[in-house]
Amino acid sequence: MIPFEMVEPRSLEEAVALLDPTETTIRAVAGGTALMLMMKAGVFQPTRLVCLHRIEPEHARITLTEAGELRIGAMASLSEVEKDSNVAARLPVLKNALRRLSNPRVRNVARVGGALAHGDPHMDLPPVLAALGARVTINGPNTSRELPLLELFAGYYETVLEKNELITAVTVPQLHDRKSAYIKVTSRSADDWPAVGVAVTFSLHDGVLRDPIVVVSAATEKVTRLAGAEQVLQGAAIDDAVLRRAGDAAAAEASVLADAHGSAAYKRELLRVYLRRAVRQALDESTPQVRQ
Amino acid sequence: MSARTINFTLNGQAVSTAIEPHRNLVELLQRFDLLGARESCGQGLCGCCTVLVDGVAVSGCLYFAVWVDGKSVSTVEHLDADGALSNVQQAFIDCGAFQCGFCTPGFVLMTHQLLKDCPDPSDEDIRDYLAGNLCRCAAYPEIIEAVKRAAKAAT
Amino acid sequence: MNQVGRNIPRLEVHAKVTGRADYTHHLRLPGMLYGKVFRSTVPHGLIRSIDTQAAQALPGVHRVITGADIQKLIPEPYYGPAFHDQPILALKKVRHVGEPVAVVLASDPHVAEQAVQLISAEYEELPAVYDEVEAMQPDILVHDVLRPAGTFADLKHLKGRGGTNVALDYHLRRGDVDAAMARADHVIEHTFKTQQCLHLAFEPFVSVAEPGDQRLTIYTANQSPSFVRIEIARLFGWPENRVRVKVPYLGGGFGGKLYIKLEALVAALSMIVRRPVKIALTMEEQFYMITKHATTFRIKSGVGKDGRLVARKCEVYWNGGAYADIGPRVAQKSGFTAAGPYDIDNVSVDSYEIYTNRTPAGALRGFGVPQLVWAYESHTDLIARQLGIDPVDFRRKNLLRNGRPHASGTVLQDAAITEVFDSVVARMGWDKPFDRGSETLRRGRGIAIGLKAVISPTTSVAIVNISADGSTTAYTGTVDMGQGSDTAYALIVGEVLGIAAEEVRVIHSDTDVTPYDMGTLGSRSLYHMGNAMRLAAEDARTKLRALAVEAGLPEGTNYPPAEVFKKRYGMQAGNVIGTASFVPSYKPPAPQTGQSDNVTPFWMVGGAGVEVEVDTETGKVHILRLVNAVDCGKPINPGVARAQISGAAIMQLGFTLSEAMHLDGGQVTNASLADYKIPGIGDIPPMDNEVVAAEQHSGPFGAKGIGESGTFGVSPAIANAIHDATGVRIMELPITAEAVLRALRAQAGRPLDDE
Ligand SMILES: Cc1cc2nc3c(=O)[nH]c(=O)nc-3n(C[C@H](O)[C@H](O)[C@H](O)COP(=O)(O)OP(=O)(O)OC[C@H]3O[C@@H](n4cnc5c(N)ncnc54)[C@H](O)[C@@H]3O)c2cc1C
Ligand code: FES
Ligand code: FES
Repeated sequence: MIPFEMVEPRSLEEAVALLDPTETTIRAVAGGTALMLMMKAGVFQPTRLVCLHRIEPEHARITLTEAGELRIGAMASLSEVEKDSNVAARLPVLKNALRRLSNPRVRNVARVGGALAHGDPHMDLPPVLAALGARVTINGPNTSRELPLLELFAGYYETVLEKNELITAVTVPQLHDRKSAYIKVTSRSADDWPAVGVAVTFSLHDGVLRDPIVVVSAATEKVTRLAGAEQVLQGAAIDDAVLRRAGDAAAAEASVLADAHGSAAYKRELLRVYLRRAVRQALDESTPQVRQ
Repeated sequence: MSARTINFTLNGQAVSTAIEPHRNLVELLQRFDLLGARESCGQGLCGCCTVLVDGVAVSGCLYFAVWVDGKSVSTVEHLDADGALSNVQQAFIDCGAFQCGFCTPGFVLMTHQLLKDCPDPSDEDIRDYLAGNLCRCAAYPEIIEAVKRAAKAAT
Repeated sequence: MNQVGRNIPRLEVHAKVTGRADYTHHLRLPGMLYGKVFRSTVPHGLIRSIDTQAAQALPGVHRVITGADIQKLIPEPYYGPAFHDQPILALKKVRHVGEPVAVVLASDPHVAEQAVQLISAEYEELPAVYDEVEAMQPDILVHDVLRPAGTFADLKHLKGRGGTNVALDYHLRRGDVDAAMARADHVIEHTFKTQQCLHLAFEPFVSVAEPGDQRLTIYTANQSPSFVRIEIARLFGWPENRVRVKVPYLGGGFGGKLYIKLEALVAALSMIVRRPVKIALTMEEQFYMITKHATTFRIKSGVGKDGRLVARKCEVYWNGGAYADIGPRVAQKSGFTAAGPYDIDNVSVDSYEIYTNRTPAGALRGFGVPQLVWAYESHTDLIARQLGIDPVDFRRKNLLRNGRPHASGTVLQDAAITEVFDSVVARMGWDKPFDRGSETLRRGRGIAIGLKAVISPTTSVAIVNISADGSTTAYTGTVDMGQGSDTAYALIVGEVLGIAAEEVRVIHSDTDVTPYDMGTLGSRSLYHMGNAMRLAAEDARTKLRALAVEAGLPEGTNYPPAEVFKKRYGMQAGNVIGTASFVPSYKPPAPQTGQSDNVTPFWMVGGAGVEVEVDTETGKVHILRLVNAVDCGKPINPGVARAQISGAAIMQLGFTLSEAMHLDGGQVTNASLADYKIPGIGDIPPMDNEVVAAEQHSGPFGAKGIGESGTFGVSPAIANAIHDATGVRIMELPITAEAVLRALRAQAGRPLDDE
C-alpha cells in the first residue's frame, strides 16, 4: 500500500469536517475491511483516511426506541449486532443473515455504516434491512437527514451520500407479526459472497399474504425492490402456482447482471427459484434458516 | 504520512513502536519477531493472519497497525506462555489437524474464540464459525475432530 | 518395538501449532532488499520499450532491473527442466499476461510496490493463442525455436525444432487399434475437457538469495532443491558446490514449487546488487507462475458384444502455457496411462504438450493423471450405460490384473486395482437399493478408478549418521511440505536401528549438507528416498557392527552404540555414517511405440465412489457421501496416510466443482481467493477413506507413495453420479451448478440463454 495520512477525530462533527466535499482521495474508514481490499488491489489510493473509531461511543450503540424500533449506531460492529439480545429476540432474520455474512473476523471489525455505505451489491445486510423497512440517518456539516435505506443505493458501488456525509445510524421498525426470510445463495463455495440475495417480509392474515416487501441483491447492480413480484403476492393465498408466478415476475422485472458468480441467465433462474423458497422459508418458521 | 508512535500491550508486555498508517498488523508483529500470524490470501478469507485485539479475533492482513494503539494484542505465540500447549493446540496435534501448518495458528486461535462463544459446538456451529479459515492442505475433517476434542477436553 | 506402521504425530507438530515452524516466508536477512515484479499486461507481444525512470527516481528505490541487466550477468538467461525456454526476465518478447518484465528492489516492500506502478512498457502486440487444440496449428507460434534442456534422463530424447507449438509428442502403440475397432461390435467416442486451475499453496512462492564470497545461498520454498542447485550453477557456469540451497518447511507445494520458480530471478538480482534479495509473491501473483494443464481428451473405444474392451484410442492435448516447465513429462509420463486401468489388447495413445499464451502449466497432484482419469472414467461409464451393463460389472469385466501386461508393455505387479475397486464398491453398498430422491432433488451414485505410474528413473541419496552417544540423525533432500516425510524416514531408520522414531533427528533439504534427491514430486519420495534411507540405515548398522569388531567386542552381540564408540575411541567420540543411493531399474519406452517391459518401479491406484443429490431447479450438486480407497502398499504412518487421501480428495473436489482460472483476452479475471474459490470447511462432504491391504514388494517395508492417489477417481465419480441422478452428462470441468442447470435445461428442451 501507498503511504497516506490517518486522522482520528474525537467527534462526529470533527469527522465530518475532516472529510472533503470534492476530494475523492479522502474517505472515512470504519472497519476498513472493504477499504483495505480496494487499497490492496490498487483501485483506491487515499491521501487521507478519517478514522471513525474514536468518535462518540453513542454511535456504536444498539438501542430500542420508545416506539419499539431498533436503532443501530453506524459504528456498531457486525458482531455486536449479531450478538445483541434485542436483535435476537425481535429480528432473528437479521441475526441469521449475519451468521453467514463473511466470517467472524470480518464481522468483528466491520461496522454497520461500512456495510451499508460500501455500495457493493454483493452484500447481505442491505437487502435484509431494506426488506425490514429500515431507514438510515445521515449527517453532513450541520445537516442531518433520514432516508429509507433503499434510497441510499444509487448504483453499482454508488450511494447518494455526499463525500462529506456520514451514516450515523440505521433504524429498523418493529416486525410485529410480519414474517421474514433472507436467503443468501452462493454458487461457488459455501463461504462465498452471495451470487443472489433474496429477502422477503410480509404479513399473513387468514392464509392470505399482505404487504409483501421483496428485495433482491447481488444479482442486480444495486439492492432492488421487486414490485412485480410483490404485486403477485399481495392478497394471494399461498400455493405453488402463486409462488411460481411471483418467481417468474421477479425474474422478468429484475435487470440481472452477469458476474463471476454466474451468467445473467443463471442468476435469473436462481432468483426465480429462491424467491419461492424465501417465501416458503418465511412461512415455515420452524426452520429459521435453510441452507440453500 | 509519517510514522506515529503507538503504545500497546503485546502478549502481556507493554510495548511501543513508531509505525506508518499504511502498514498492517502482520507487519507490525514481524517487527517483534512474532511470525505465527502470516499473510497469505491478504483478503480476510483464509485466517492465516489471525490476531486477537482486545480479546477479539481480527484478520491482521486487513487491520491497520496504528489501530492497536492503546489496545491489547495477543498472538498464537502467547498460547503456551506458561510452557504448556493449550487444549486446542494439543487437540490439533492429537487429531493430526494440519499438514503444512501454514494455516494452523489461525485455526487454533479461531477455535479458541469459537469455544469461548460456544463451548459445545455442533458441526453446523463449527462450519459457520470457521468459514473464514481455509486450509489448502484440506485437513478439514481432522480440524472438525480437533475442535470437538478440544471442546470435550475443556469440559 | 516395530516402528513402521506406528501411528505417530509428525515430528514437527509442536512447532506448527505454536506458530514457530520455520518457513522461507518469514526469512529476513540483514541488508536484504525486497523485489517486486512488474508484469506483462499483454498475452503475446514484442517489447518495444520499458520506461523505468520514474520508478528509479522514487525515494527508497534501490534499483530497477530489466532483462537486459540480467543478460549482462548471464548471457543465456533461460531456464527450465525440460526446455531452456524461460527467460529470467522477459527478453524481446512476452508470452503470457503476468510474465515478469522488470523488478524493483527496495528495503521497504511498499516502496518497491509503489515503484512498480510507475514503470511502463510498450509492446507490439502479436496475435495470441489460448486453446490447446487450436495451438496444434502453427499459425501463431509462441516460441520460434524450441530448446530442449537435456537435464533429466527420461526427457533426453527431446529434440529442438521450430515452426510448431508442440513441445513434445508422445506415442504408444499396442496391438492393432484400427483393425480391432473395425471388428468391434460397438465403437464409442467422446471428447472431454478440463480447465486450467492451480495449486495456490498458502505459503505463496518465495525465494531469497544471499551472495557470499565465491558462493551463493538460496533459501527457497521449493520442492526440488537439488535441481535448483544444478540449474543455478549451470546458469552462472559454476560448479554445484558454489551454490547452496536451503529449504525449511514448506507451506504447501502440491507440485507448484517444483524445479525453478523464483530462484533464478533472486539469484541473478542478488549477484547484480551484491545484497540479499527476497521476492515473496502475493496470492494474486501465484496465478501468473504455474498452473495445472487444461486438456482436451478424445477417447474412442471398441467393445465386444460380451462387454469386453477390445480397443482404445486416446488423443490427449495438454495446454502447456507459455513455457514448458515440466509439461513434457506430464504429457509423456501420464500419457502412457491414458487408456486407464483396463486390460485392452489394442491401444494407441497420442499425447501432445502444447505451448499457448497462458500462464505456464506444470505438475499438480497427479502429474496429469487426474485429467486422464476424468476422461477415461467418464467414458467408461458412458459405455456401460450405452451397453446397458451396470458400470461396476462392466469395469470388473475389464480391469487389469497383476500379471497382465499394461498398455505400455510392462507387466502389472503389486497394483491393488481389484482390491481398491472392491473396497469402494463394498463401502458404497453398490448392490443395495438406495433413495433416489424426489422430483427436484434427485439422487445418484457414481464410481471411478485410476492408475498411475511413478516417474522413472530417478535417484535419491540418503545419509544416516550415528553419533558417539548413539543418537541418530538422518539427512534427506526430501522437502517436507506437510506430507510427513521427515516422520516417515524417522520411522524407517528407527525400524532398521531398533530405536524409536521420535529419537531420530531428520535434517532436510540443505544442499551443503543433504545429499542429492531428484525432487519431492509425483509420490516418488517414500519409495525412492525411503529405500535409500532404509539402505543407509542398514549401512550404518553394518558399519557399527564392524566398529564393534574393531573395538574387540565379540561378534554377534548387540552392544549399545555409545558403548561401541567409547570402547573404540576411548571416549565419547567418532561417528558412523551410513549412506546409500537408490535408483530403480528402468527401460525407456521405444520412441515409436512407447513399449517397455520396465516402465515404472511401482503403480499407484486410487478409486472413489460418490452419492450425490442434484437440485434440478438450481443445478446445485450436494455430495452426500464420498468414499475413497487407495493402494499405497503398507502404510508407514497410517494416520498420515489417511489424511493424505482425504486432503487429495478434497483438493480434487475443488478442481471438480468450482475451481477454474477465467481468461478474457489472455487476462486472468479471477486472480484471487475471493474469486477463485477453493473448498472451505462448509464444502466438505462426509467421507470414508481407506488404505487397502496391499504390499509393494520393492518398496521400503512394503510401502509406496500416496500423495496423489486420492485425487484420481473424484471428478469422474461425481459426473457419473450426476448422470445416474439426472440423465445429464457433463463433459467438461468444473461441474459448476450453472453447468449442471444448463445441461438439465438443454435436456428438457428449454435451454438457458447464453449471456
Ligand atoms: C473476506 C471477506 C468476506 C466478505 N464476505 C461478505 C459477505 O459474504 N457478505 C457481505 O455482505 N459482505 C461481505 N464482505 C464485505 C464486508 O461486509 C464489508 O467489507 C464490510 O461490511 C465493510 O465494513 P467496514 O466497516 O469494514 O467498512 P470500511 O472498509 O471501513 O468502509 C467501507 C466504505 O464505507 C465508507 N464508510 C464507512 N463507514 C461509513 C459511515 N459511517 N458513513 C459513510 N460512509 C462510511 C467508507 O468510506 C468506505 O467507502 C466480506 C468482506 C471480506 C473482507
Ligand atoms: S491473510 Fe489475512 S485472512 Fe488470509
Ligand atoms: S495445513 Fe497446509 S494450509 Fe492448512
